[in-house]
Order: sequence, then structure tokens, then C-alpha cells
Amino acid sequence: MDENDKNIKLPYFGIPKILPYITKYKKKMIGMMFLGCIVSGLDALYPLFNRYAIDYFIGLQTLDTLGIFVLIYFGVLVIQVIVNYYSTYWSGQMEMDINHDLRNASFNHLQTLSFSYFNQNNVGYVHARIMSDTGKIGVLASWHLMDIVWNGSYIIMALITMLTINMKLALYVILLLPIAILLISLFQPKLIAYHRNIREINSQITSDFNEGITGARSIKTLVIESLIERDFDKDTSNMRKTSIRATRYSAFFSSVMVMMGSIALALVLWQGGLLTMERIMMIGTLSVFMNYALNLMEPIQWIIETIAALIGIQVNIERFTKLMETESDVADSKEVIEKYGDTFNPKKENWEELNGDVEFRDVSFQYPDGDEMVLEHFNLNVPKGTNIAIVGETGAGKSTLVNLVCRFFEPTSGEILIDGRNAKERSQLWLHSNIGYVLQSPHLFSGTIRDNLRYGKPDASDEEIMKALELVSATFVLEKMDKGLDSDVGEGGDLLSTGEKQLLSFARAILADPKILVLDEATASIDSLTEKAIQNAIDTVIQGRTSFVIAHRLSTIVDADEILVVDDGKIIERGTHKELMRKHGHYYDLYTRQYDEMIVNTIGNEA
Amino acid sequence: MKSEKFPTNTSLIIHFLRGSKRYFILAIFFAMLVSLLDLINPKIIGYTVDTIIGTDPSSMPNIFNNLVDKLGGINYLKANIWVLAIMIIIVALFSAIARFLFRLNNVKGAETLVKTMRDELFDQILHLPFKWHGENHTGDIIQRCTSDVDQIKMFLSEQLTSLFRVIVLIILAIIFMLQINVKLTILSALFFPIVIGYSYFFHEKIGSQFEKADTQEGILSSIAQENLTGVRVVRAFGREAYERERFEKQNREYTNLWIKLMHYLSLFWSTGDIFSHGQIIAIMAYGVYLTVNGEITTGNYIAFIYYNAMLTWPVRMLGRVIANMSKAGISIERLRYIMNSQREIEKENTIKSDLRQDISFKNITYKYDNSTKKVLDNVSLEIKAGSTVGILGSTGSGKSTLMYLLDRLYELNEDGGSITIGGVDINDIDRAYLRENIGMVLQEPYLFSRTLEENIKIAKDEATFNDIEEAARIACLNETINNFKQGYETSVGERGVTLSGGQKQRTAIAQMLIRKPPIMIFDDSLSAVDSETDAKIRNALKDNIAKSTVIIIAHRITTLMHADKIVVMDKGKIIEEGSHEELIALNGIYRKIHDLQLEQGKLIEEEENGRE
Repeated sequence: MDENDKNIKLPYFGIPKILPYITKYKKKMIGMMFLGCIVSGLDALYPLFNRYAIDYFIGLQTLDTLGIFVLIYFGVLVIQVIVNYYSTYWSGQMEMDINHDLRNASFNHLQTLSFSYFNQNNVGYVHARIMSDTGKIGVLASWHLMDIVWNGSYIIMALITMLTINMKLALYVILLLPIAILLISLFQPKLIAYHRNIREINSQITSDFNEGITGARSIKTLVIESLIERDFDKDTSNMRKTSIRATRYSAFFSSVMVMMGSIALALVLWQGGLLTMERIMMIGTLSVFMNYALNLMEPIQWIIETIAALIGIQVNIERFTKLMETESDVADSKEVIEKYGDTFNPKKENWEELNGDVEFRDVSFQYPDGDEMVLEHFNLNVPKGTNIAIVGETGAGKSTLVNLVCRFFEPTSGEILIDGRNAKERSQLWLHSNIGYVLQSPHLFSGTIRDNLRYGKPDASDEEIMKALELVSATFVLEKMDKGLDSDVGEGGDLLSTGEKQLLSFARAILADPKILVLDEATASIDSLTEKAIQNAIDTVIQGRTSFVIAHRLSTIVDADEILVVDDGKIIERGTHKELMRKHGHYYDLYTRQYDEMIVNTIGNEA
Repeated sequence: MKSEKFPTNTSLIIHFLRGSKRYFILAIFFAMLVSLLDLINPKIIGYTVDTIIGTDPSSMPNIFNNLVDKLGGINYLKANIWVLAIMIIIVALFSAIARFLFRLNNVKGAETLVKTMRDELFDQILHLPFKWHGENHTGDIIQRCTSDVDQIKMFLSEQLTSLFRVIVLIILAIIFMLQINVKLTILSALFFPIVIGYSYFFHEKIGSQFEKADTQEGILSSIAQENLTGVRVVRAFGREAYERERFEKQNREYTNLWIKLMHYLSLFWSTGDIFSHGQIIAIMAYGVYLTVNGEITTGNYIAFIYYNAMLTWPVRMLGRVIANMSKAGISIERLRYIMNSQREIEKENTIKSDLRQDISFKNITYKYDNSTKKVLDNVSLEIKAGSTVGILGSTGSGKSTLMYLLDRLYELNEDGGSITIGGVDINDIDRAYLRENIGMVLQEPYLFSRTLEENIKIAKDEATFNDIEEAARIACLNETINNFKQGYETSVGERGVTLSGGQKQRTAIAQMLIRKPPIMIFDDSLSAVDSETDAKIRNALKDNIAKSTVIIIAHRITTLMHADKIVVMDKGKIIEEGSHEELIALNGIYRKIHDLQLEQGKLIEEEENGRE
């Protein structure tokens, strides 16, 4: 994916695409550019003070009005300092404000995207869109812009001054400019390629470290330290080699540029010297020219580097706008939003009570990134309070049905009815507010236990929270932590074990008092005794609720009203436990194999 | 506590610098050369103005005057000013070459240094004890190895060498300036401490603000991260609006902090000009005064202005470099923590004894450092060579610790009992040899960012594809792999396909099996595999590893019941021990767990009975 990103060319560097985010700051931007012009313009004028000092005071051998001269110089300086402060501060503000807006825009847009987006793009990639692409674009609209303004106005001002003072001598310096521009343009592309290469190796080294640290235990148990170190050495050697090459190249390049300045200086000294000797030009003027000759090369280099940066930023603009243009494939219609509100502004007063009847009617489904129908003309009626179990082997595709019920995906054809009406007729938020969800790999947010448990019900009281914890036998987690409900769970719940996280996420789901409950292999890493306790809790809480349970261990779902057996993404059997056992099919195999050995032993034992 | 390997920051830096020192010394030498050469051209310009264009006598050193005489004297130069232009270009050329060599040596030094730092850190991390990795946060360690390393590199290569360069430049420039005029030089030098002091004061002050901003960015970044990893939870609870509010609030806070920082920075940049330009104005006015009074020549005035201007920026930078020293100091301190951590101790005179022997744990008592709680309390256990032992116990019962001790991932406490294999104390066995021959599958195994084939092969470099397939088959992984489009070539880990917990565990099992180790430990490594696959793997294992000693830790009775011996652990003690039948007859905890897991089994019985 990144490979294709490299050489993106957008019209006008992609700037039109980000205009909507900039226009808000139009006034400040114009102000900052205007002030920037003044700052550099004044910078270009300073050599003229020197010229005056040489030609007037020294040339005429007088100290008359030296005091006024100093005052004027100082006055200009003070003006420049003030103007400079505002132009840089505004530029900084601009950068930060635009970053801020872009981060908000991308984050908020992501909240509306459907699951297929998250399935197709990994977290690291999406995270970089919010945190890093936005920053690059902010720099573009502030510092890169100002770099062009500052350096551009310096060059223009210097050229005007030179041409005004002495056209012929000015032309000698100007003659060198195209050569400099040509040289820089020739060097630049390879330099950019080097830097890209270095960045790539650098991120490889970072992920090597990541592997060495996260994988340290596995590396130890396998005793493959030397192998891993050998690979690491390959990357660091590569880094050293490439960096040195890149610097050799850029050092050569910058030495050439400094040489160009010196050549300009030499030219001015030669031609200007002749003019001065012939008394056509004064020494002060010669000194001004020498000053410009030396100082013109750097701004040119800066401008060209800025343009190179602009070319690089197109990738970021492209990625950002691509994200913003991605539309959710699960979207509420206009009418629905009008009545029920959108994700951020729900109109709860119009929300109907959710009863809990779910029905799949002639549903066919194919994952947006998949190439096969995983459901075909599927029908399933789940009246309120029904318990549906979904079983199958690891990776068999057990989550599909749940994804559809939760409207994380829309059916390719057919419809899903909630309380007898097509799910699309109500808002996603309405549905989600009525669903409790416990994941296979439990996810907690950094914050306190209370924050986490309240996630599904922000106004839950401590009594309610305690009740939920008791229901899932998780009060021991509180006793373990020193601050009770106020205990911090760490980033992503790091301070708790997987089993504890699972219990808490279970309590969280129950606390929200959902009409529909989804348990995704919720009991996978809890020991038997705790599991039994949770099983009891499940039996209690699914009373009166429509529930979908995805389970590994079949013992937990024998009482389900209907069991769906999934294999290779498709539903191959369905029925109650008894029906399925009688069928002697896949389910029967799964179930008996799990318990056969045990029964033999029990019987043998009892005998 | 043993004495630290690197007691001070300096000692660590010297250690890291050992391969790169010579490059830095060369770099500093060339930097000095650059400064020296850069100071010559203003002199030539001054000479041109005074002696060639004007009529003053030469104030150049004699070498230069002799050269001019050889060329044909001052009058020759007056007629051919281009010769002076060529001189300037020649000096500039030498300066450019020195500049190039400075940067080249500097980058060689910096990159060699960084490579040394990274390699040593990496090596250190791989050789730190298992326990160390449990006690330290991954993210924190990675940050130390990446951004702190960069910080030190930047300081040493960009700032420290330019510090040398600037100091040399200042000294040389002052020498040149003194030749022109002492009073003017003193006036110029008076400004240095002010400019350096102001810059230092500012950067010192702003440093903590940057840290604050970094912290705030970290918080913002992890809000986004958690939102993305928890996208299912966010959606399922319909909490998008809350997430948005949380993010926007933090985003605002972070942005405001930066805007405040921008205010300070802009203030510093712009007010800094007052000092630098103030110096220029002062030099200019006083210089004019001295020139008009005939104390210095016009050419020397111009040269002096050049020298003064040459120093403006480097002097301003000096304050920043000094302020950054403390930052680099913090980074070095952070690396020192890693480098000073105690590596796994390598004993001398170890042997490689036969490990297909009885394993014996004798009176094992184990406590973590600084803890009084006994993780293992007087545990004794005999494991017959070639037998299978199952260990059952709740989380925290000490069963994994026991295995870590056997694999010497943890070292036994002093007077904490002993472990022998075939009568040989494991502390006398070569550690790498021991670990190579004990195949241990962790509960949460780590897969490397490589292909599946490479992941399995990583344990045995010389394995053929047939070996790999065979191991995958026993681990019930073959079919899964063949279902992937790219089969064994499928990339996994950070940059590849995400495998399910069960698939990861099975890959780790294949990884272990390819070595055919005499001792195999499954540390709850079938927990994420469904029962059917679990059974398949165990059956396949039975047929293939008859001679190996196998230890299985599990929560499922079905996984353990066929073991020759089953051990039930609780709170660091062995509370039940025996065969499945014996333990069932014992009617203890094992029986209780067994019954709970079995309860549903009875339904089958009824079902079957009902059909008859």
C-alpha cells in the first residue's frame, strides 16, 4: 500500500484539497504573509546601513549625524523585532490550529466509518493518519509557506536593491542564479530518495527493537539470540552505510553551494573593484554587493528545499483526503438522521423502545474485501429473549452473524428486521445503545475501573456498578486493587490479567442493561471455577434478553434456543442441542469428541 | 547489590564512543580548518579595499606580501584585480573541501556511534533475564532505544562538534579581530556572554515546556490508539460522541500548550535579534568612529564587520547547546539504566549432560526479589524420563514459575532447593544447551515478522521444508496454512496477517516440535485452541514424541487426564498428585473441577440413553 503512495502527483501540490481547512484562517494567513514580507524586506535592507556608514561617514571623514544614524538603525530594528514576533507567532498558531482542526476532522470522521474500513486498514496505519499526516499538512500551511515568503521577499528585495544601485554589477550576480537553481534541482531528487530510504531503514530498526523486546521471552526459550542479533546487525549496518552515503552526497552538494557564493563574491570583488578604482562606484556600495553575493545562495537553496518538501507532503494530503472521502458502507439515510439524529447528535426523544425481536429475512452476505458469499438466502427468526449460540472451529467465521446483527456490516441483499422493521429504518446509534457486547480479546480504556464500567452507562451509580460486579463474580478484582473503583487499569487495561479484563468487560456490558447481548467467546481465558460463576451469571442476565453467544466450549451453550454450527464461513447445521445431537453431524462430532473421553472415565470410575 | 558497570554518564559515553572517537577527532580538526580558512577571505577583501583600491600600505602577514611581490608587486595586482578574485576562490575551494571532510567524518562518527549504541542495547536486551522483561514496560524500553538514542546522536554529532567548531571560531576570530583593533574587539566580545546567557536561560526554561507538550501528545496519541483498537466496543456501546468529546478536549489542551510554546519561541527568536543587531550597531558606530579618527583603515573596518557578523549566529547557538546538554544527560541516564541492568549470569565449567533423564525438583521455595510472598513453597516433584506430567492449578498457583525455573528463565533462590536432570544440577548444565533441549511453548507466544515458514524454521536453521511441514502437521497447523493464499509464504506478525490466538499457539508448537527436544513444556499453550484441535494435537504428539518427557500445564481436564501423572497446585504448593483415576478417587479439588467441566457431559449420556 505504501509503495503506491510514494510518487503521488496532485494538481497544485494537492493544496486545493486542503483549502476548506485553511479558509477559516484566511485573514490571519494574509496578515502573517504580509508581516513576513516586511521582516525579510528589512533584512535585505540592512547592508544599506553599512554602505551609508562607509560611504558617508568614513568616505567623507565625518561623525556628523552618527547619533541619528544609530537611532534610525535601532528604530528599524525595533520595528523588525515586533513585526517578526507577530509573523512567527501567527505562523506557529496557524500550524497548531490547522493541525488541531485536521486531527479533529479525521478522528471524528473515523467514528462514523464502518467495520470494513477497520478490517482493511490496521490500527497503526489509521493512527498515523490522525497523528502524523495532519501535522505535516499543518507545517505546509504555516512554516513552508512562510519559508517561501521570507526567502522569496529577501531575494526580490536584494535583487531590486542591486539593480537600482548598479545594473551591470547586479547582472553578474544574477547570472549565477540560474546555475545555482539548476544545480540544486539536479541534486535534490537523489537527496530526497536517500532520506526516504533512511526513514524506511529507521522504521525497520524500530520494529526490530519492538520484536527484540516484545519477543524477548520467545527468543530466550528458543535460544535464537545470535540469529536475531545477526539480522539486527544487518539493519544497523545498512543504516550506517546509507546515512554516510547520503551525507557524503549532501555535504558535497552544500560545499558546492557555498562555493557558488564565493564565486559570486569573487566576481563582485573583481568587477566591482575595477569600478571602484575608476571611482565609478564607492567602496560602501562594493561592500553591499559583496554582502548580497554571499547571502543570496542560501535563500535560493531554502526555497528549492521547500518546494521539495511540498512535493513530499502530497502523499500526506492524499492519505488524509482519502480518509475524509471514505464513506461508511453502513450509513444512516437522510430521513433516519432527520428523525433519530446522527452519531454525534442523537434525537433520543424520538427513539422507540427496543423490544429485542431480531429477524434475518432472506439475507445474503459477502464481506466487502472477500470474494465469496458467506451467507446465502439465510433466514432466522430470533424473538425477544431467545438465546442463539454460534459454534465452530477457530477461524470458521463465527462473528459474521453478530456483525450483521450489530449492523457493523449491512447485508448484501435481504434485510435484517429489528422489532419487525428493517434495521435501516432506525439509526445505528439507536441500535448500538441497546446492545451489550463482550469481546474475545477484552478491551478496556485507560482510566479507572469506574470509568470503564460506566462506559455503557455514563450515569451508573456505585451501587449499580457493585451489583454488576457481583453478578459476574468480579468483586475480587476490586479487593486486589488498592483504590477500589478508583483504581487505574493502565493503558488498555494493562494492569489487569486477561481473565480480569474479561470479567470487567462483562460487567460493563451488563451494566448497560442491553436488550440484545452479544458474547464473543467471552469465557475463553478464565479458569473453570470462575467460568462456572460467569456461566451462572450469563444464565441470569440473558433472561428476557435476546442474546447471541459465540462459544468454544460447547458445555456453555447446550441450553441455547438455537445453535448455529459454522464451518468455513458458512452455516452448515442449525437446531437445538437435542436436535443437533440426534442428527449425528458436525455438531455431534464436536460435542462428543469433547466429552467422550470424560464419560468413559466417569462410568469407569463409578463402576 | 553489585557495583554498576557504568557508574557515571561519562563512563557510558566513553564506552559507546570507542569505535567512533577517531572520526570525531578528525571532524573537529577539519572544523577548525574550516573556521581558519573562512577567516582569510575577509582579510583579502580588506586588503583589496585598502591597498589595491586605496593607497594604504599592506597590513597582511609577510607570507602574503612575499607572494604578492613574486607575482609582480602591488601594481601588478592593481592592474589585474582578477588575481585577487582567484585567490578568494582558491581559499573558498580549500574551505569547501575542509567543510566536506568535516561533515563526512562527523557523520561517520555519528553513525558509528549510533550503530554501537543500538547494537549494544539490543544485545543487552536479549541477554537480560526473563524477569527483567516482565518488570519493564515494552513501550518505555522501545522509547529509550529509539528516541533517547537519537537524542544522544543529535547532541554528539550536531551540537557537540559544532560546539567545538564555534569555540575555535570564536577564538580564531578574536585573534584576527585583535590584530585589527583591540578596543573594537573588546566591545564585540562584551556582547558574547549576554547573547549566550540569554539563549541558555531561554532554552533551559523552555525545556520543561517541551516535556509537558510531549506528555500531552502522548495522552492524545493513546486516546486515538485506544479508540481505534477498541472500535468494536465504541460502536457496540454507541459511545462515539463521548469519544469525540474526549479526543477534542485533549486535542484542545495539547494545541493550546503548543501555541503557548510558540509564543515563547517567537518571543525568543525576535528579541534575540535585539542583542545580535545591537552588537552590529555598536560595532558599526564605534568602528566608524575609529575609522574616521584614523585608528583603523576602511578595509579593516569592512573585514571587522565581516568577522563580527560571522560570529552572530554561532554565538546564539552556543546557549542552546549548553541548555541541551542537560537533555542529552537525561537520555544517557535512561540508557544507563538498561546497560547497567544485570545480564543473565554465565557460569564457567558447565557441562552438556544427557537430558533424556528423570527430572527432580527438590524442596523448591521461590520468592521474587523484594517480596516476602512465597510463589513456590517447598515443592518437590519427580518426573520420570519419557513420561507425561500434567499440571493443573489456578492462575497464580506457581505452576508457570516452576517451569521457568526448570528452563532457567528464573534462577533459583539461594537455599531455595534444587532441580536436577539425571542427577545433574541444572545450574551445572550449559544454559543455552539446556534451553535448546527444553522446548517450551508459552501461553502467549510471540511470532516474528516473517513468513510462517521462517517462523517455524527460526528454531532450526538447517530444517528442510519437509521437516517444517511435518512439524506443522503435528501441530494441526498444516491445513490452516494451506488455506492461506500464500501458504507457508504468508507473512505474519507486525506487518503481515493477524493470526488468531489458537493459530499463534499452534505455530509456536510447530516451532518447538521441529527441534524434537527431549523435554517439552506446554505452558497453557493449548488454551486458545478449540477442544477438537486440542485433542488432535495431543493425539498427533503421542504418536510422534514417544521418547520425550512432556509437561503440560492446562485448565482443561481433557487435556491432562491421559498424563502418567497429574499434579494439582494451589498457592505455591502441590496439593494433589497421582493418576487421573487416583485423583478422581481422592475426591478433592481435581474431582471438583472435573465434575464442573463434566456436568454437561451427563446431558449427552441422557440423550444417548433416551435414544436407546
